[in-house]
Amino acid sequence: MTLALGIGVLVAGGVFLVLQRGLVRITFGFVLLGHAANLLFLAAGGTQRREPPIEGTAALGQMADPLPQAFVLTAIVITFGITIYLLVLAAAGKGDDDTERLP
Amino acid sequence: MVLVLVLGALVVSAAAAPLFERFLGRNAGWPLAVIFLVLGSAIAWPAPRVLANQPVAFTWPWLPSIDVAFALRLDGLSLLFALLILGVGALIMAYCTRYFGHGARHGTVYLLLTLFAASMLGLVLADDLVLLFVFWELTSVCSFFLIGNAGLAAAQPAKRALLVTAMGGLGLLGAVLLLAVAAGTTRLSVILREFDWAADPAFTTVVLLLLVFAAFTKSAQIPFHFWLPDAMAASTPVSAYLHAATMVKAGIYLLMRFSPEFAEGALWTALLVGTGLATAVVGALLALKQHDLKALLAYSTVSQLGFLTALVGIGTPEALGAAALHTLAHALFKATLFMLVGIIDREAGSRDVRRLDGLWRVMPVTATLTGLAAMSLAGIPPALGFVSKEKIYAAFVDFPGPEWLGWLLGAVAVFAAVLTFAYGFRLLHGAFGGTTVQRRLVEPSWPFRTPAAVAAVLGIVLGIAVSTLSLLVEQIILDTRFMSGDPHLELWPGFSAELAMSALTVVLGLLLFRARAPVDRWLQRRRLPFSGVSVFERCYSAVIRFGGWVGAPTRSLAPSVQMLPIVLVLLALAAVGLWWGVPLAPRAPGTTRIEDWLIVAVLAAAVAAIAATRFRIAAVCLLGVIGFVVAMWFLMLGAPDLALTQLLIEFLTVAVAVLALSRLPALFQPGGRLRTGASAAIALLAGAGATVVAFAFTGRRGPSAVRDYYLSESEEATGGTNVVNTILVDFRALDTLGEITVLAAVAIGVAAFVESTPLLRSALQRELLPRGSPIENAADNAVVIRVFGRLLVPVIIAFSLYLLLRGHNAPGGGFIAALVGGAGLAMVYIASLAPDRRSAAWPSVGLAGAGLAIAVAAGLIGLADGSFLRPFHGELELLGATVKGTTSLIFDVGVYLIVIGVIVSALRRMGSGLSGALAHGGEGVLDGLVIRRSKARPRAPEGGKAGHAERYRNGGGE
Repeated sequence: MTLALGIGVLVAGGVFLVLQRGLVRITFGFVLLGHAANLLFLAAGGTQRREPPIEGTAALGQMADPLPQAFVLTAIVITFGITIYLLVLAAAGKGDDDTERLP
Repeated sequence: MVLVLVLGALVVSAAAAPLFERFLGRNAGWPLAVIFLVLGSAIAWPAPRVLANQPVAFTWPWLPSIDVAFALRLDGLSLLFALLILGVGALIMAYCTRYFGHGARHGTVYLLLTLFAASMLGLVLADDLVLLFVFWELTSVCSFFLIGNAGLAAAQPAKRALLVTAMGGLGLLGAVLLLAVAAGTTRLSVILREFDWAADPAFTTVVLLLLVFAAFTKSAQIPFHFWLPDAMAASTPVSAYLHAATMVKAGIYLLMRFSPEFAEGALWTALLVGTGLATAVVGALLALKQHDLKALLAYSTVSQLGFLTALVGIGTPEALGAAALHTLAHALFKATLFMLVGIIDREAGSRDVRRLDGLWRVMPVTATLTGLAAMSLAGIPPALGFVSKEKIYAAFVDFPGPEWLGWLLGAVAVFAAVLTFAYGFRLLHGAFGGTTVQRRLVEPSWPFRTPAAVAAVLGIVLGIAVSTLSLLVEQIILDTRFMSGDPHLELWPGFSAELAMSALTVVLGLLLFRARAPVDRWLQRRRLPFSGVSVFERCYSAVIRFGGWVGAPTRSLAPSVQMLPIVLVLLALAAVGLWWGVPLAPRAPGTTRIEDWLIVAVLAAAVAAIAATRFRIAAVCLLGVIGFVVAMWFLMLGAPDLALTQLLIEFLTVAVAVLALSRLPALFQPGGRLRTGASAAIALLAGAGATVVAFAFTGRRGPSAVRDYYLSESEEATGGTNVVNTILVDFRALDTLGEITVLAAVAIGVAAFVESTPLLRSALQRELLPRGSPIENAADNAVVIRVFGRLLVPVIIAFSLYLLLRGHNAPGGGFIAALVGGAGLAMVYIASLAPDRRSAAWPSVGLAGAGLAIAVAAGLIGLADGSFLRPFHGELELLGATVKGTTSLIFDVGVYLIVIGVIVSALRRMGSGLSGALAHGGEGVLDGLVIRRSKARPRAPEGGKAGHAERYRNGGGE
């Protein structure tokens, strides 16, 4: 329930921001959507088991699903890559990042 | 084996053709002609076996998982076409050597012609449906390039020819897929003999229609005939080879190939006979009104293809025998006529009958050869065309239906043949008859004439010795009907109905020829209100317009316009899903814990704030807050690696965002009330939808099998205990390789982008601080971080290396280690007085490239054990201590370098230009954030932009 709510909050914020004019805001909205997608992955793995999946540290039955975590780990880094790319784009304009006012 | 060798030799020759051309110029056709002849003899070698009903076959597994094989098979039908392809090909290659001029380059044409020959040969030899389709398309593609190669004027015809034949190719693909699925095999000979076609009549009808569609487009039957005369824009050898002798017969070949199944069906007969005869008559009528000899021949080809289609439609063994014979006769006389028209065009400088006159006096040999070919075309004994026309008449008269229908069809055939006779003589008379105007013309050189002469004479010799073809035609009847039939091939079969029809044809043809002047006037007045080409062009541009209309919403440059449809479609899908309803399992207990609510509350507050704020710097801070909260949640959900990664990413994102922000106004653009309201409404709906969907589809099942596998097998299989990291670098290393490749692309993209668009130094100055404020001087303010940075950075780097090494067994690994190292670098960079000078030596793209190379190399080591990216791991006794090692550590080093490369790339590029002022006024990068040094001379903002900036600074009210 809490994860679903958290995802909803992030999606709402993300969608609001990507519909704005400035590329920086769009980028930030994209980051929020990335968070939401990552949390959705973890939710799909099941949040009733919450011990870190490191062998020998907890009972097997209590460990979280490692596969979504592996997906999310790379997804975080990829999101970062795209974020900085978008930020470079935003900064490359002539002192402005408005996407709807063409020079 | 001989089949695949011949095919391979053709492909090799195609590759060698440009080489020949480089050394021999236009004479490159000679070696190619010799190769064609040799290969033709090789194909003919097993002929005795083939004609004794023992086909030669070759099979080589191609896509064994779907049971598709590179299967070739040479039976009688394939033999006829193969000999035509290689035989006519040899003549055309020889002809090319004189048709082409000196000087220009012809390597491409030779290459394409040879490649086409290989494709066409593959098409008629293919015994696998998929293979057949591939070769079918290859011939279309070769045809496209060969037509288009003739210059700018040929571009549109080439496009039309390709689109029409490729459309038919889609039909063939449909038929191939249906058959493959229904029959469970793609082997053509098996399907033809063993598939139960009667089981599902509807299915059989669909396949039939698709095949007929494919054949009609390729063989230019009405209403698809227009592409063929259009394609005459190609050079004459191409027209003679592709668009008269071989490629356009591919459709006929396909129809004959599938005759065993369909020949007795009423739909097949009606479609083929109806369309074929209509094409024969219309083509002949159109040929009769042409003044351009090449256009005349093109319409003549359309008409003759109509005859062939109708014959296949009749479907009796005699009709199929006649079709085989006429295919041969037509290829011979039509290729001859094209070559001769090419000669006339080259020598006399025109192909227009109104401008050519009396050439027989100056070019008697060419005139004689044309006469021989025209005899075959018109069906005059002893030419081969006479025998085949007799057989055509016999097939129509013996139509397996009501007797009157047979006679009616026979009458239509006679009518078309009369027209054929008339345009054949029109050609002959138009070019060679009458008074000689161009008296100074001479015969072309003998190499130019010889190919045409061979084909013309062969057309007569084979007519006289037609009985030698009996075995071949008998075998083809057997191959196409699976029943034997006697073709009765004799030049003089005695008096019969068909002989009377032939005589009638000649008499009426002569009459029509005599009355050519009034007939011509009458024909020229008759014009269709539309032409095939114009209809095609109208459809074509309508499709393009439709595509433009469909794509219009996505053609905006504004990202929000691109995003909106995606969000709306997702919302609509969610709404449909809700309305539909899905049965859900009960929720698993314990998915929610009390501390989660705290996270949700903080998250909600931060998200609301980031949506509402107008200040960029506030948004960056809030983004960091959200990232930290999410990282915390990761930790609470049992994902320490994710939490670590997310935290580090937040540091770096903020670092890069700050650099970006220093170039931008302090405030966001004002959104406008409508936009803010609408996007808020959509955002709330989307959030609600995401909540419902996430709630409905997660937390309703137990642990997955793959989770249990990874958790229990990880240490055994990889030697590592940190399961998440073993998945990244061992189990699913290929995925990781793909992902780090994306990162390397980002590093390069940032570098390339920034280098191609010079980032301007921020023209905007911020007056947010009072003059004389203690934090005004960035350089002085950063002194603490600078000093500590110097001490800390080596520690940070060492720590990051430690994280890299321990990643297999504890939180850490390449991604996290690089992010820690990158954070250290960012600290140095931001605090440094002269970032440009320091970072100039950081080879970001080199780092990323080296990382990718190392990762791939680590994967290649795995090949030694039989699989890309399979890790080796083991223990090593070193100085008395046990050291565990794995090759996936090397892979992780690659990951590490790429991530460092991305970070360095971003920092360095974003900082470049900002530091220019340091040398003059001592401004640091931190300046860009909030502070302005008043003594630094700011570049004056330019007019309009200043106004724009002013608006933002003052709150941006509009």
